[in-house]
Amino acid sequence: MAKVSVQPEEFTFVNYDAKRIIALAEEMAAHAGLGDDVAITIEIDEKSPFGYTTSAVDGPTVTIFAESAAFEDAKNLRELSEEGSRQVLGRLLYRVGDRMDPAFGDPPPDKGLSFEQSSAWNAYAMGRLERAGYFAHKERRRYAFRIRHGFTDVADQVFDRLWASETLTWADIEAACAQTAAVRPERETKGPKSKAKAKAKAKAGK
Amino acid sequence: MADPSKPRAGFAPWDRRELPGIFGVEETARRVGNYRWIEMRLFEVLGGWVATVPELDIKTMLGRHTYQHAWHSELWTKRLPELREMVPEKLTVAPNEAMERFVKELTEPEAPELTIEKMVGVYRVLIPHKIAAYTYHRNGTSRITDGPTIRSLTFALQDEYEDWIEGEMMLQSLIEGPEEVERAARRQVLLESLLVEAGGIAGPGSIGVYPDGHVAPSAGDGGPSQAQEVGA
Amino acid sequence: MRKSFPADDLARDSRFIRRRIEETVMDPRNGAFRERVEKGEIKAPGRLEPDRPDAPDAARQLMHGIFTGEIQALEGAGRTCWDFEVGDDAPYALKLDMARQCWDEARHTEISMKLNEHMGTEIGEFAEATFLYEAACNPDPVLRLTGVNRALEGLAIDVFNTMRDFGDLSDDPVLEFCEDWMLADEVTHVKMGSDWLRKMTENDPERREQALEFQRIVDKLFSLGGFRGDSEESPIKLARKFREMAGFSEDEIDEISDIADEAMAEATAIGKAATAAAS
Repeated sequence: MAKVSVQPEEFTFVNYDAKRIIALAEEMAAHAGLGDDVAITIEIDEKSPFGYTTSAVDGPTVTIFAESAAFEDAKNLRELSEEGSRQVLGRLLYRVGDRMDPAFGDPPPDKGLSFEQSSAWNAYAMGRLERAGYFAHKERRRYAFRIRHGFTDVADQVFDRLWASETLTWADIEAACAQTAAVRPERETKGPKSKAKAKAKAKAGK
Repeated sequence: MADPSKPRAGFAPWDRRELPGIFGVEETARRVGNYRWIEMRLFEVLGGWVATVPELDIKTMLGRHTYQHAWHSELWTKRLPELREMVPEKLTVAPNEAMERFVKELTEPEAPELTIEKMVGVYRVLIPHKIAAYTYHRNGTSRITDGPTIRSLTFALQDEYEDWIEGEMMLQSLIEGPEEVERAARRQVLLESLLVEAGGIAGPGSIGVYPDGHVAPSAGDGGPSQAQEVGA
Repeated sequence: MRKSFPADDLARDSRFIRRRIEETVMDPRNGAFRERVEKGEIKAPGRLEPDRPDAPDAARQLMHGIFTGEIQALEGAGRTCWDFEVGDDAPYALKLDMARQCWDEARHTEISMKLNEHMGTEIGEFAEATFLYEAACNPDPVLRLTGVNRALEGLAIDVFNTMRDFGDLSDDPVLEFCEDWMLADEVTHVKMGSDWLRKMTENDPERREQALEFQRIVDKLFSLGGFRGDSEESPIKLARKFREMAGFSEDEIDEISDIADEAMAEATAIGKAATAAAS
C-alpha cells in the first residue's frame, strides 16, 4: 500500500479528519496501482473556499495540492464528503499512476496542461474509476469536457472513447484533443457584441 | 358566372343553430358570476399549495394550473359587464352557503404528506363538476345570442379536460397501495357529499337537474321569468 | 391552510438539504481568502466565464442555485395568490399577475431541471438557501412585490444575463437558448413589480418609501457579499441594459451597484472576523 500523509494533521477552518482522508487516499491509490514504494503527501489549503487541485510526481514521491472545497460535501458546508473525496483522489491518483508508467509517455506537469488536455485526461481517469466500481459522475465530466472541447458530435464521441479506454498513452490524449479542436467553432472573443458585428457584416454583404 | 346580387339565405344550409337557448341574460349572468367565484377560489388555493407539496412534478403542475384558472376567472370578469352587470363583484359569489363550506373543506389540507387529499379535491371532485356544469351551459345556451359565453366556455373546457387528465395521472402515480386508495376514496366521499349538497358549482340546476326532480326546460323557454323560477 | 407560510415549512423531497445564508457568510475561509486577495497573493476568480479553471463546476453550481431559486419564486408567487383576499391591498389584477408569474416560474423550474440534466447536475446536488423565498414572506403585499419582483427578479436578470453570455462564449446552444427565453420573462416580472409599486403607492409616499427601503435591504442581501455587482471581481455582473428595459432608471441601477459594494465590504469584514475567530 502507498504511504499517505496529510497536511495539516488537524483542521480548524473545516471539519475534516486527516486520518479519514489518508484512508480514502490509500484506498484509491491501491485501485490506481500505486505500490508500497510510493509516498503521497496531500497538502490541503483549508483557508481557501475553492476546489482547485494539482499533483506533482518526483520519482516515487507524489504531492497533491488541494484547496479545501475539493473534498467538501456540497450540501454540508465545511464537512468532508467521502464520495467526493474518492472521486477527486481517484482522478488524481489514476493520473499519477499514468505519469509513473514509462509506457504512458511524458506529459507536461499539471500546471502546464491546457484545459483541453486536462479534461481529456480526466475523462480517461474517471472512466477507469467507474469501472473500478465507483460513482464517477459521467455526465458532469461530459459537460466539463464539452466546455473545453466544444458541443459537437465529435467531442461527444471522443469523450466516450476516452471514458471507455483502459490503456492510453499521452500521445493518444493529445490526438484526442487535436480531433476535437479540428471541428470546434472558433472561440476568440465571441459574445453578444461580436455576434452583432458578424450579423451586421453578413447583412452588408448581401 | 355567379351573380353577386342573387339573394342568399341568412344562414347557410348546414348552419342548424336555432333560437332560443335555455338561459336568459340574468340567469347567464348569475351562473357566470358563480363560475368566476369558483375559478378565483381554485386558482388561489392551487397557488397556495405550491409551497406545501414536496413532489417536484406536482409543484410545477400546480403552478401551470394556477394560471389557467386565473385566466378563466378573467374571461368571466370580462363577460359579466356584457351581460348588463357593470359591477362584476356583485355577482361573484358562491351559489349558496353549502358551496362555501365545500371550498373551505377543499382548501383545508396544508401538511406536506397530504398531497393525495389536495389533488383528489380538485381533480376527482371539483374539476369533473366544473366540466359538467360548463358542458351543460355550453350545450344549452343559445348559439346565436350567447356566442361570447360559448366561446369562453369552450376555451375553459379545453383547459379543464387537460388539467383533469394531468391531475388524474398524477394521482394514479401517487396512489400505490390500499392505504392510499382508502385515503383518496375517503376524501372524495367527503367533498363530493358537500358539492352535491350545494347542487354543483352554480347551485341546484348546475347541470339541468333540480332537487324537485324536474329537468331543465328544453329550448324555447329560457326567458328572465323562467330563470328566476329555476334559479331560486 | 394558513394565510402565511414560513420558509422553514417549504415542502421538499429527501434530495434537498437546507442551508442558512449565515453559514455561508460566516464561513471563516471567506475572510482568509479576502485577506490574500488584498495582499495580492492570489487573484479573485472574477466574472464567470469559460476561461476560468473552475468554469464547468462553477456554472453547474450556479445553475443549481437558479433552479432552487425558481422553485422559491414559484412558491412565493403562489403564496401571494392565496395569502391576500381580493381588495384594496391586493387588487384582483395584482393576483392575476401573480398567477401569471406562477406559470412563468413553473416553466423556469422545468427549464432549469432540463439544464441541470444537460450539465450533469443532480437535483439536490447542492444545498438550498431559502433567502429568496424569505423575501416573499412580507405581510405587506406592496413590500412583498417590491422585494420579489424588483429585487429578486432583478437578481435573476443579472444571473441569466451572465449565464446567457457564458453559454454564448462556450458555444453551448442549449444554455444560451434557455437563458435568453427566461430573461425575456424576467423583464416582464420586474415591470410588473415596478407598475404595481407605482399604482399602489400613488397617494401614499410613506408606503412607497418603505417599499423602496425594503427593496434596498433585499438588494443588499441578494448581492451575496459582492457575488453580484459591477466590480470585475463579481462573478455575476449587474445587467444594466436589461434592467433599463425592465424599467430601472440609471440612478436606481447605480444605487444597486453601490449597495453591492457595501455588501462586499460588509461581507469581507464579517469574513475576516470569522477567520480571526477560527485561527
